[in-house]
Amino acid sequence: MLRRFIARIWNRRSPSDTEIARELQDHLDLETESLGAANSTTDARFAASRRFGNVALAREAVRDVWHFAWLDDLEQDIRHSARALWRSPAYSVAVVVTLAMGIGAGASTYSLSHAIHDPFPRLPQHKLLWLTQTSAACAPDCTEVSPAGFAALRTRAPSVTPVGVFSWGTALRTAGGSLLLRGFQVTPTAFAVLEAPFAAGHGFPNDAGQPGGARLAVLAYDFWVRQFGARTSVIDSIITLGGEPYRVTGVLAKDVIFPMAADVYAPFMPRASEASTYGSRNYMVFAKLAPGATFAAAAAETRTIGAQLVRESPATDSGWVLRARPIADFHTDDVSIIETISAVAALLVFIAGCMSAANLGLSRLAARRHELALRTALGVGRWRLVRHLLTEALLLSLVASVLGTLLARWSVHAMRDAIPASFAAFLPGWARLDLDVGALAFSLGAAMLAVVAFGALPALGATRTDLKSVLSDGGRASTGGVRTARSRATLIVLEVSTALVLLTAATLLARSVRNMVQGNAGVRIDHTLVMQLTMPRGMNDSAATAFYRQIDANLSATAGVRAAGVATSTPLSNNFSGTPFQIPGRASSGKGHDPSAIDQHVTPGYADASGVRVVSGRMIGPRDEPGTQRVIVINQMMADAFWPQEDPIGRIVTLDSTAWTIVGVASNVHHGGLDEPMRYTVYRSILQVPLSYGVIAVHTSGEPELMRDVVREVVARTDPSVAIGEMMTMAQMQGRHVSPFTMMANMLVVLAVVTITIAVVGLYGLIAYSVAQRTRELGVRVALGARPHDILVQVAWGAVRLTIVALVFGLVGAALFARLLVALLYGVSASDPGTFFMVSAGLLGVAVLAALIPSIRAARVDPMVALRGD
Amino acid sequence: MPVRSSDRLELLQGTLDMLILKTLLFGPTHGHGIGTHIRQTTGDTLVVDHGSLYPALHRLQRDGFISAKWEKAPDRNREFKYYRLTAAGRRHLTREQSRWNSLVQAIGLIMNPLAEG
Repeated sequence: MLRRFIARIWNRRSPSDTEIARELQDHLDLETESLGAANSTTDARFAASRRFGNVALAREAVRDVWHFAWLDDLEQDIRHSARALWRSPAYSVAVVVTLAMGIGAGASTYSLSHAIHDPFPRLPQHKLLWLTQTSAACAPDCTEVSPAGFAALRTRAPSVTPVGVFSWGTALRTAGGSLLLRGFQVTPTAFAVLEAPFAAGHGFPNDAGQPGGARLAVLAYDFWVRQFGARTSVIDSIITLGGEPYRVTGVLAKDVIFPMAADVYAPFMPRASEASTYGSRNYMVFAKLAPGATFAAAAAETRTIGAQLVRESPATDSGWVLRARPIADFHTDDVSIIETISAVAALLVFIAGCMSAANLGLSRLAARRHELALRTALGVGRWRLVRHLLTEALLLSLVASVLGTLLARWSVHAMRDAIPASFAAFLPGWARLDLDVGALAFSLGAAMLAVVAFGALPALGATRTDLKSVLSDGGRASTGGVRTARSRATLIVLEVSTALVLLTAATLLARSVRNMVQGNAGVRIDHTLVMQLTMPRGMNDSAATAFYRQIDANLSATAGVRAAGVATSTPLSNNFSGTPFQIPGRASSGKGHDPSAIDQHVTPGYADASGVRVVSGRMIGPRDEPGTQRVIVINQMMADAFWPQEDPIGRIVTLDSTAWTIVGVASNVHHGGLDEPMRYTVYRSILQVPLSYGVIAVHTSGEPELMRDVVREVVARTDPSVAIGEMMTMAQMQGRHVSPFTMMANMLVVLAVVTITIAVVGLYGLIAYSVAQRTRELGVRVALGARPHDILVQVAWGAVRLTIVALVFGLVGAALFARLLVALLYGVSASDPGTFFMVSAGLLGVAVLAALIPSIRAARVDPMVALRGD
Repeated sequence: MPVRSSDRLELLQGTLDMLILKTLLFGPTHGHGIGTHIRQTTGDTLVVDHGSLYPALHRLQRDGFISAKWEKAPDRNREFKYYRLTAAGRRHLTREQSRWNSLVQAIGLIMNPLAEG
């Protein structure tokens, strides 16, 4: 049978239609010839044709020989397999569902990991560096480079071509008002150096960005599509940014992100005088390796330049180090942790899915030994049987693949939409998050392999089993199944331990998220609306001051508004700047090493609007104006650190070389994430230190979302030239911090539940199978006087023993996995014994429940029925 | 699915295959030669329908019992498709022939009991 089969494949090359036609025509000719010897030619041809019959039909029949034999067998196999699967729906559904879940969860989670892994698509990342200037005191917050440092990198580092970048918040004037944009100012050669592709137009000329020169702008692709409808006519047109005309020179290609998601770029040329500005570090610096230069050479040059800077200006630069790092470091550690965790979780759940499918395959095979042996006895060839089982396995994995692909697509899109756009800007690659074709192909392939390997290959062994023993035992012989049972037990141990790993991680992260949400930001989260605002460029201080004087009152007078105020940055926004301060009479740690405080310039209404409490003294008031005493309010943490036993009120703090008198102490507020340490914070009057940008906080009496338009209207009435950016509620602001963690936690919970379900079903199946196999043995024991209770305990113990082995492995795995999580955890330890205990106990409980059902059945075995046999 | 010609041939199939293989035992020849040989040898008793002959040839070729090659005929300047027996075909013929012999003998026992008696 097999030989013929191979021969069939070997000779499968079917003759072409013309070849067949020619052969038949030859026959006709020869026939005509032989008849023609006796008759006239025309008659002969006619006679030959008549004898031959229908030529077309014969041709058809010959072709069929080649076509249908192959298809026919396949079709028969498929039909047979489909029928067999249809008859055991529990098995089919279980395999399809677990495999689909494994494929879906695996491929989508891996896609997430992969998208994050590529933060700078379309740029030559391997050649790009991030250059930072840090000091031990300031790390990891400080990374920016001083103007002198940037000038030195431009002239003294032959291995790199540096690019300087400034964050640039600006506003676009549109017909409907001002629109706040996120932008970057870059050195004019930036796009050429980065080899950034353009969708239209080009970058800046090398001499752009001179003071007084033409103002130029490059647009980001998404912004161009959103704001200008992807019209190329925008190239060379004039747009108004921050009240000034800019000529658009080009639009970056789709998906170009540098250094973060942005709307617009403008050139700037560092001034010559900056080469000697050491103290104020404000340049983000990136660089490309010169052709032929190595990363090590660049790193060495950078270090040398850093040392030179320290010698040139020890007062400002001692303790500061200039470093070259891979550009991927630019994105925070959290991101890479998310990447790793999702990749590991993807792998775990995928493995669990495959193991479960394998397990189901083995158990089905065990259950079918009887059938297979019977068919072998009836003369069905082994090859035929294996082929049949293979077809079955492939059919199942095909259906599972389709479902898994749909599931993966759906969950990738759900993940992408789970995070607000404002936060996604900080997650590189998020917007591009889509199903990774490579990951999908890998999952599909591996899933198919798993089913085939465990569902069909053991069939080779199974069909070799001794017919007599199987058949005479009525299919209950346990001997042949021992190896299978052992493989199944191993698979289940692995499944349960994987479930434990995922469940532990999910529980830790879920607890961490709960702590975060419940964590005290120090300000009101509900009924508060916040928005950014920008003064037009060129607005003088008195005009700005006039706006700040009126805005609190104008907003507070509006129905539905309880309080309103302006500050430099929003709590929880992660968008704050530090100002170094000294305290007169205390030893200074030297220039560049002073502690710094978050510097909030506020209007009098801000404390009530945001919910900052006054602990002692007073808050900034309406009479803290230019010309009056310079006053400052410090936060509790700062008071505790510098005046632990005394009253800080009346003391002096020096900022910007000016003395400020403390008039009050305010409650602590998180300006960064809830999981970050509290920082020193000072509040000053915005009238005494005017700002050209800030945030408005509005405390509403009703739903803050509903007040958006009203607030916008009041701001426009107060000063139409002031631009308002994105409005958010404080709840959304908090969500921005929590949502990546929530998403991670949700993802792990779903994956854990999937895995546990898979594992428990597998455990149940194994115990139930072994009970069915041992019916006769159990019957004998009952007949010999064993009590049902003993049997129940004995059978259940088998399951518990397996689970305990799995828990030991699982706990080790969970401890390793939790170490990855450390940086994401807030208020819960990665080795939290409570969590580990709870999860293990829970899993053990579920396992016992799963084992109890077949155990009870075992205890009820009727010896009469069991021993009668069949 | 159209009715397969092999289905129509069900009864004759084994026999026709055997006859073809036996004919090719004497040397390679083309389809017409095989048909002619069978007809002439049986004195026109067996006339192989061409709609049966060619599907059978191709089926035997597909299963590896015979091989086919376009070759020039010795007596004229023209190529024909020549079939020749493979080693597998030879073995198959031996098997088929012994099976045929026992079948004939068995049928003979029933049809002619007296002759055996």
